[in-house]
Amino acid sequence: MFIDIDCTQEKKYNQNTYGDYFVSKRYPEAGRLVAVLSDGLGSGIKANILACMTSTMLLKFVEAESDIQKACEIILNSLPVCKIRKISYSTFSAIDCDDEGNAKIVEEGNPQFLWIRNNQILEPQYRIITSKTFSNRHMHIYKIKLEKGDRLIFCSDGVTQAALGSKDLRLGLKREGLIDIVLKELSTEPNISSRELSRRIVKSALIAEPDHKAKDDISALCVYYRDPRESLIFTGPPYHQAKDSIYAHTFFNFQGKKAVCGGTTANLISRELGIPVRNDLHQISGKLPSISHMEGIDLVTEGILTLTKACEYLETEEIGKDAAGELVKFLLDSDCITFMVGAKLNQAHYDPTLPVEIEIRKNIIKKMKKLLEDKYIKKVTVQYM
Amino acid sequence: MKEINVNVCLGTTCFVMGGTNLNELLEIVPKKYGDKVKVSGSPCLGLCSINWEYSKAPYVKVNNEVVAEATVEKVLNEIERQMTNEQ
Repeated sequence: MFIDIDCTQEKKYNQNTYGDYFVSKRYPEAGRLVAVLSDGLGSGIKANILACMTSTMLLKFVEAESDIQKACEIILNSLPVCKIRKISYSTFSAIDCDDEGNAKIVEEGNPQFLWIRNNQILEPQYRIITSKTFSNRHMHIYKIKLEKGDRLIFCSDGVTQAALGSKDLRLGLKREGLIDIVLKELSTEPNISSRELSRRIVKSALIAEPDHKAKDDISALCVYYRDPRESLIFTGPPYHQAKDSIYAHTFFNFQGKKAVCGGTTANLISRELGIPVRNDLHQISGKLPSISHMEGIDLVTEGILTLTKACEYLETEEIGKDAAGELVKFLLDSDCITFMVGAKLNQAHYDPTLPVEIEIRKNIIKKMKKLLEDKYIKKVTVQYM
Repeated sequence: MKEINVNVCLGTTCFVMGGTNLNELLEIVPKKYGDKVKVSGSPCLGLCSINWEYSKAPYVKVNNEVVAEATVEKVLNEIERQMTNEQ
């Protein structure tokens, strides 16, 4: 199973920074993911520092201790208390889960998370651990087994207390209000991504406020267990021309999303499978050739120049409105990406008199793989042909 | 009269060797010839790799005639030539 996780935040009205903090890290080899959402005392920069410290330290502890409960206990026993208000400097929710659906969750002070399966709220068992140093501080520990389609929703109290004291919602949205929002969204869009769902929760909390201004920092963190979105990219003609047909069919029979990067490659597939290529020339946007169209294939672009530009976009996170921009969107909309890379070279590309320096395809793909894995946490496989 | 098809190569080599300027044909050709001449793009005409040491990109095909080191002017001349021959 793939773990789709995302967090959306809104800062308190009139503050210039967020008082809640979210961190997460994937460990692809172990199929593990650790995430922490922390709410710092107060708001603005002070809260931001408190929450940031708590969450990043907790993440490091979990990493080092490999047991989330122990890591959280260290924080529970050592987090200072505000002298004036006698409450914790920060509260947190932490989750340590894996691809198989095993999850350990620890909460201290944050609203209780929601566990949703088939549009029903499940009520998991938990243990309470009280701090040895601060008797008023308790931690809730859950050990649950998630299934495909399950969702977890964590939030800061900015969500459950939205509209607090207003005419219609004297006690704020509360947990019930959050449940209503989430179940409504899920009934209209059952496969909604974590990114979109978290955005809608935050938006709904803001709408609930009488003047639509956040009176506290608002954060929603969503986790969704689903099948991975798979995609396949065919770039460059195979070294042995005799195998063109086999590779073209393998590519076309792939069940996920498909892209072709390369003029010769597009022609090869067109020839082997009898699918015409259309290009209307209209969209040339200066530095890159325009997109072509082939029935049954989601994206068809030129090869080397487009791949090089796409790497640049992935590095800078500034996505242009051209074929490379479309390719980047295609890549970012996938969880598992496979590249079929043809090893045949076109000698004409390496003519030193060409006005643009052209990289070797294998090197670009190597760079792109590293970027997608390290920066965007995608699972990437490369197959040379 | 037979329709004339102009096919501009949008492959890597042709594109960096000046193929970008050829999309001017999209404006000029319909104004000049109406629907007698059709301009389209091809992902790659496969011509640069044949004689790669002496590649003459960018390439354009006007029907089956190859225009090497193509410019807008060269392509228009080839269209004129084929139209005259036809008559």
